[in-house]
Amino acid sequence: MTERIWDKFLTERDKTVLAAAGFGALADWGKRPALIIIDVNYAFCDEKPMPILESIKKWRTSCGEDAWEAMPVLQKLIWLCRDKGIPVIYTTGTRRADNWDSGSWSWKSKRRAEAPVLDADGRDGNTIVDEIAPGPQDIVVLKQKPSGFAGTPLASYLQLLGCDSLIVTGTTTSGCVRATVLDAFSLNFRCTVVEDGCFDRTQASHAINLFDMHAKYANVRPSEEVVEYIKSLPSGMFELPSGAGVQTRMAAE
Amino acid sequence: MATNSFENHAWADVVPDDLLQIYSHYQRETFVGPKPALILIDLYNLAYRGGPVPPISLMDRYPSSCGIYAHNAIEPTKKLIGAARAAGIPIFYCTSDRRPFAAPTGVGATRRQKSSNAISHDDDFEIFADFAPQEGDVVIRKQRASIFQGTPLISHLNLLGVQSLIVCGESTSGCVRASCVDGYSNGFHVSLVEECTFDRHELVHKMNLFDLHHKYADVMKVNDVIAHLEAGDQARLAAE
Repeated sequence: MTERIWDKFLTERDKTVLAAAGFGALADWGKRPALIIIDVNYAFCDEKPMPILESIKKWRTSCGEDAWEAMPVLQKLIWLCRDKGIPVIYTTGTRRADNWDSGSWSWKSKRRAEAPVLDADGRDGNTIVDEIAPGPQDIVVLKQKPSGFAGTPLASYLQLLGCDSLIVTGTTTSGCVRATVLDAFSLNFRCTVVEDGCFDRTQASHAINLFDMHAKYANVRPSEEVVEYIKSLPSGMFELPSGAGVQTRMAAE
Repeated sequence: MATNSFENHAWADVVPDDLLQIYSHYQRETFVGPKPALILIDLYNLAYRGGPVPPISLMDRYPSSCGIYAHNAIEPTKKLIGAARAAGIPIFYCTSDRRPFAAPTGVGATRRQKSSNAISHDDDFEIFADFAPQEGDVVIRKQRASIFQGTPLISHLNLLGVQSLIVCGESTSGCVRASCVDGYSNGFHVSLVEECTFDRHELVHKMNLFDLHHKYADVMKVNDVIAHLEAGDQARLAAE
């Protein structure tokens, strides 16, 4: 097997245990997926590619340049899914102006009270980045906690669409991506995590969380393989939103 | 008296014309949705205790019994389950989770106060023998009114690819209503089988059926649901 992104973080014992315990088999992909893009907003990406140490001065949750390396992968997957009529579902955060509902988030971060806005137009950090802005037929789920399922209608939307699986992308691999994958797994949805479509603030967390998810909960695959899978699916399987009357900032292709 | 089939159900003799008029916007075709599962709510022994008599005569000894209404539903429910088995659709039961150490004090399906004369038996919450679960059926243990609340039901439905629910059982105003509303809220099409659903009083039964039918579920006659399952079964057999 070709080397995986997590291999360099594993000890020899880890590799032996993993092989002996039988984890990490490749599961079936599912037949009716939705593409999920977790929290690819300005708070996690910054307004432009910046070295992460610079970037986190303003955007404390920024993943810096790694976010922007994933952007073309996300664009490709999003366009492909829209073209096939496969549901494209985004998540991003939502918060009261006074931040009261940040709740447990404020227990672990010293910079929780900061609420920077975009230099250009004052939009807040929860705005999904314009490069992958939702289209009129896409779905945006607003959440307050790591999992896209926690306190949101996501599960009911997947039910209504008749989805049996998720293709998961976005950020952070160790936080909201993993939490969403775990809840999807618990609900018996099949999960594919796009290795180069996910990013994190810390490289070790990114790799080891991909490793954990691939071992137990999901197929972690490179985007070329996911693209081939999506291309193999029939078009027009889903009753998507009509998009009538929905205002968007979707960039022209 | 309602003149259209949408309103031709158990509530027709109690719902006044002005209410029907206000609710006319809910009128639509009713149907059983694709890939259904049968959901049998709380068909445990306690609901049948004291025999086929008016529940008011049981309220002291068996305050949970639906008496005559439970017993009237036995035959149609047997037929419905038989049709579901023949069609090969998944069957889910639920009953109250009475396992030790399962819940703190005060957790229950309703706020009803305990009756000091109520008689209890060890098998109160076993499924009524006429509907005994068979190999392959699933029994969900729940602590609250809805079969969805705090249970793995949605995971099971996803695993099986279920997209719609056929619901019946008791009580119409309590666990059936809660389960239908949660089913609807979770994105399932819900069909509620009229003759197989019951409560302790006719008025409560009828008005809750009325509410569910207009807002959240398609209340259907048992023969229509059975005919649908048989047609599906024939189609499936023909395709094989």
